[in-house]
Amino acid sequence: MSSPYPPPPQQPYSPQPGYGQTPPPNTYLAQAIASTLLCCLPAGIVGIVYASQVTSKWQMGDFAGARDSSDKAKMWSIISIVAGLLVGVAYLFLMGGLASVSYSR
Amino acid sequence: MSIVRAPGVLSGGPHGRLRAVAAPIATGVLGLSAATMLHLVDPNQPGHYPTCPFLALTGLYCPGCGSLRAMHDLTTLDLAGAWSMNPLTVLAVPYLLAAWVLWLRRELTGQPRRWIAPAWVPPVVGVLTVGFWVLRNLPGFGFLGPA
Repeated sequence: MSSPYPPPPQQPYSPQPGYGQTPPPNTYLAQAIASTLLCCLPAGIVGIVYASQVTSKWQMGDFAGARDSSDKAKMWSIISIVAGLLVGVAYLFLMGGLASVSYSR
Repeated sequence: MSIVRAPGVLSGGPHGRLRAVAAPIATGVLGLSAATMLHLVDPNQPGHYPTCPFLALTGLYCPGCGSLRAMHDLTTLDLAGAWSMNPLTVLAVPYLLAAWVLWLRRELTGQPRRWIAPAWVPPVVGVLTVGFWVLRNLPGFGFLGPA
């Protein structure tokens, strides 16, 4: 296989959940994808980068680092939602303004 | 196998469970409402939805251009139409649905997250997205655009 990505390790990607083992952190990849496709391309791309950090750090065993990147991915998914709401509200105001202008004529 | 429960779910009893499920249910209702609106209010008709700000500013397609029309087509089960509008959206929708189902199941059962995507998945998503973004604006790749 001549893939540009490192070959998959022989071990399973994530440790099985059990006693004393932390569950894997959220990558927020779904939120980043939705953000990229639906409203906020730049924030979505940043989210995908942090999601990449989460999975690669987790696979390397850097659990604290993975959680840290997960927190940042979460912050960018929140920024996306807020930006999307702002764009939507601004658009509604714009359309409302145009509608009232056409009514007044 | 012992499962570490989310503290809120365990300590909150049935009410904590109810509260935990509220977020995925609300998200599901929101998604279903959006799909219904996209089905009824056709994004192929101009003026129904705002134009992509990136397209309006630059005249170039972004990776999300055509995503509303693709989702409208999906609600009419027109897979070919959806694919011609935005193939990335057609690929993303099953992933988003699966992520939602897993989220709902975690909150219902109170079990922690078990699965994390393999390390290559997010970078491949990023490369696909950026590659798609560039290609659909190049001559000869008009089939990737939503026009």
